[in-house]
Amino acid sequence: MDNQLKHSELTTDNSILTTQPMIKLQNIEKVYRTDTIETLALSSINLDVAKGEFLSIMGPSGCGKSTLLNIMGLLDAPSRGDIRISDQKTGHLSDKQLAQFRNKKLGFIFQSYHLINDLQVLDNVELPLLYRDTTAKERRQLATEALAKVGLSNRIKHFPTQLSGGQRQRVAIARAIVGRPEIILADEPTGNLDSAMGNEIMDILINLNRNEGTTIVMVTHDENMAHKTHRLVRLFDGSQVQ
Amino acid sequence: MLKNYFKIAIAVLRRRKFFTFISLFGISLTLTILLVLTAFLEKIAGDSYPDRKRDRSLYVTRMSERTKDNGMSSGPLSFYYFDHYVRSLKTPVKLGITNGYESTNTYVNNKKINVSYKYTNADYWDIMEYDFIEGKAFTKQQIDKGDRVTVISEAMKKEYFGDVPSVVGKYFEADNINYRVIGVVKNVPITSYMTYSDIYLPYTVAKTDFTKDKGYRGRFYGILLANSKADLPRMRAEYEDMVKRLPMERPEFIKIHSHAGSYIVSYVDTGDENRSGMTFVLTTIAIFVLLVMLLPTLNLVNINITRIMERSSEIGVRKAFGASSNTLVYQFIVENIILTLLGGAIGVVLSFVAIEVLNSANLIPYLVLSLNFSVLAIGLLICFLFGLLSGVYPAWRMSKLNVVTALKAQ
Amino acid sequence: MFKHLFKLIWNKKKQNFLLMTEMLFSFLVLFAVFSMLVYYYTNYKKPMGMDYRHAWLVQYNNTYETKNTDSLNLYYQTLQKMMRAMPEVQEVSLCSDNVPFSSNMNGGTIKYGKLAAGTNNYTVDDNYSKAFNTQQLEGRWFNKSDAVGKYPAIVINNNLKQELFGDAPAVGKLLTDDYRKSTMRIVGVIQGQKFKGDYAPSGNAVYFRTDTGSYRWMGNMIVKVTPAADAAFEARLYKMLSNYMKKSNISIEHFVNKRKNINYFQLVPMIVMSIVGCFLIINVALGLFGVLWYNINKRRGEIGLRRAVGATGNSVSSQLITESLILATFALIIGSFFAVQFPILNVFNLQAGIYITAMLLAIVFIYLLVLLCSLYPGRQAAAIYPAVALHEE
Repeated sequence: MDNQLKHSELTTDNSILTTQPMIKLQNIEKVYRTDTIETLALSSINLDVAKGEFLSIMGPSGCGKSTLLNIMGLLDAPSRGDIRISDQKTGHLSDKQLAQFRNKKLGFIFQSYHLINDLQVLDNVELPLLYRDTTAKERRQLATEALAKVGLSNRIKHFPTQLSGGQRQRVAIARAIVGRPEIILADEPTGNLDSAMGNEIMDILINLNRNEGTTIVMVTHDENMAHKTHRLVRLFDGSQVQ
Repeated sequence: MLKNYFKIAIAVLRRRKFFTFISLFGISLTLTILLVLTAFLEKIAGDSYPDRKRDRSLYVTRMSERTKDNGMSSGPLSFYYFDHYVRSLKTPVKLGITNGYESTNTYVNNKKINVSYKYTNADYWDIMEYDFIEGKAFTKQQIDKGDRVTVISEAMKKEYFGDVPSVVGKYFEADNINYRVIGVVKNVPITSYMTYSDIYLPYTVAKTDFTKDKGYRGRFYGILLANSKADLPRMRAEYEDMVKRLPMERPEFIKIHSHAGSYIVSYVDTGDENRSGMTFVLTTIAIFVLLVMLLPTLNLVNINITRIMERSSEIGVRKAFGASSNTLVYQFIVENIILTLLGGAIGVVLSFVAIEVLNSANLIPYLVLSLNFSVLAIGLLICFLFGLLSGVYPAWRMSKLNVVTALKAQ
Repeated sequence: MFKHLFKLIWNKKKQNFLLMTEMLFSFLVLFAVFSMLVYYYTNYKKPMGMDYRHAWLVQYNNTYETKNTDSLNLYYQTLQKMMRAMPEVQEVSLCSDNVPFSSNMNGGTIKYGKLAAGTNNYTVDDNYSKAFNTQQLEGRWFNKSDAVGKYPAIVINNNLKQELFGDAPAVGKLLTDDYRKSTMRIVGVIQGQKFKGDYAPSGNAVYFRTDTGSYRWMGNMIVKVTPAADAAFEARLYKMLSNYMKKSNISIEHFVNKRKNINYFQLVPMIVMSIVGCFLIINVALGLFGVLWYNINKRRGEIGLRRAVGATGNSVSSQLITESLILATFALIIGSFFAVQFPILNVFNLQAGIYITAMLLAIVFIYLLVLLCSLYPGRQAAAIYPAVALHEE
């Protein structure tokens, strides 16, 4: 009941914000080639994600939803088509420029957290800041703030292996937001968690979207989670069905 | 940034201790071998006891005479050659003449002692800066008078006279002749074949009259001392010019070669004009170093590549959050250099032990190896090179790892 | 099964390439070290060809100066007589300066018909054979009758005999000296003396007999003494010699020590090479072990699957070991291609047999090494439970 209410509330917010697309995908196609066969992973995807929107992508296994997210995150290049992020073309960027672009504009959250087990929580969160011009002091301060936002201020000296799954994902979120990116891309952030922890994570993301205006694109398997977002896109066999 | 790399490097090293052990083992032992080799070469080429005026000296060690049918005969020179021909040069201010050490025996209390002896002129003592433990060198007057005096080495003093405080004025018997000891000098390693000997004698006390043989070839070396370093090229040119004007000794000879070279060049002179001793020595060292470094490098590359796979998640995350390929290459090379430096530190300790063992084994008489500053500097350089060599390829492979696959692989 | 394994290896060629390169270089290093060791060992196994114990070397310079050959001969014959008069002296022999265990050499080329052979030439007198107790294989040693023959008499060693005449007898054959263009007659063949110590070959030797002018330039005496000869006697002998030859510098050395020294110079490079080789191989072995072990850990899924479809633990572990051995085989094939060039191109002039033995040893060694390094990881793989391994995936 409460969830439902929130949903409708957010949808109305959405209508006010749609004018300028944060992410614009035009005619995206992705083909995987091996020696003998070509597999079409994505075909003619056209998708606009508005500034401040919380979008979820659903679909069965192997439908190409992770590929789509990776393409949005400039981690993978499409075989054809254009991606514009905050009105900037990205196709021509070099490896170095792409790296800078990701660093400034994007934050990632993964299903299996991908924390660096050899580093303490604080060092893990500082990671994106290492690739910008910051001093050690600034990094420390920003990382501490980010960790406070996800409620892990008391765990900064722990190693990831000493944390529970939900805590690890919160560290990963802190890492994603520490650089104040405009967009967060989350690949099944609740996939490895039980529903209570999953809801906790979801709440953090929703608050982030609402309070900071961060655009979020999330791939999920979970209908409940998907329905908490502004908009749901369904993929089937590499094509957009809804 | 560096601090961060350092942190992760240490963490990675501690995680897979077995791999770390293999890497460190390879690096440290490779470095030990190379450091001992460096210490050895440094001792031979770099230690300037007793010829401390090396930078303004030229050495003449041999002459080769070539015949029409491509025959060649080569060897050291005669006393007369130096005294008569080389003496006429204008640039040298001193001309030291000495022969290679030869050996004889002496018997003390029914114990046999092998004694190597060499003859010198007076200039030799002016050019060389032997460290006198007691007494002094023989003078020109003593040489001209044919005084039977000798300068002996520290080791020979101990072997012949035993542990006595002073031996100056005592007599040393060799070849049935008694020589009065007038000086004792610090030992020279046998590898410095131009200056090594147990006892040094005036050339006039020899049983042969060296001044009589007028041929070019004999058994002597010459050391030409210039006034300053700047005079060396002129002195060399003057010498070559003098050699060019030498008349042939025999009709079948068509060409005479003899060079006044720096210490190192004359040290490795083969006597063959077509085969530079320097090139030969350098090639041999290069091949040895290559061999010693090649396998450990390959090994390290192999291990490093294996370790990359373990870290694919980390690489993926770093890339996703804005590390470019170059940044990653840099990071992994730095990590590898940290590893090599760590191995290097262990290597230095091992070399220290190895050198102590080698010195106490006394494989080469009086050659005392040491790890000095320049040897360590070369060791550091080798470490860096090693870290770079074994790090570049794996780092490049790492950085080329596709982000999506890197993040997928668990 | 093999086809299946080849496929596996081929599909991971990039990863395997480095491992193979490492094995290849290890093989080459081992080949070099083994070639050296086999060479030394073959030489070591051959007889010394002489008895050097209780033989001393007396060296002197500034030989007696006279224009008259007769008085020169008389001078040295008197000296020999005086020495023989000492009870400790058994034999005295004058010879050229390329005595056993010295660094002096005197080379030449000798011809038999069209056959030519490089030789070491030694000038020795009639007593040399007794002084060193050389082993006569054919014919006899020099004696006084050789002074008057039509051709000068020579003695050769069995190495040269084998090269020129094979198994046929050599005594009575005529050889020509390529330099002096003179003809000489072989009167005897002796077992080759290992002039350069235990670890070097005897080479081709030709012994020339001293003639009347030889004393002019010779400066070496071999003195065979009784076991009773001690340092006191040596000092006495020294005194006697230096009193007789007033103008000479004299030194006495023992062949036992000379042999020790020359062996030392042969052994040091061998020991250094072996230590360096050993270190390299240990290094490679550890690396190989580490990589194989890691690879197997990474392939737990695959191994689990194989177990699940019915492979036994043993078959899984032997599969992994066979995989490494196939990899080693590739490396060894390439390595052998390089190694075989040594006997074919006759590099360093060693016998082909030495290279072949070294190659075989290196091959066996590499196989053993790879086997040892993959044994433990293989056993570990066999212990993987399919359920656990597959669950991890």
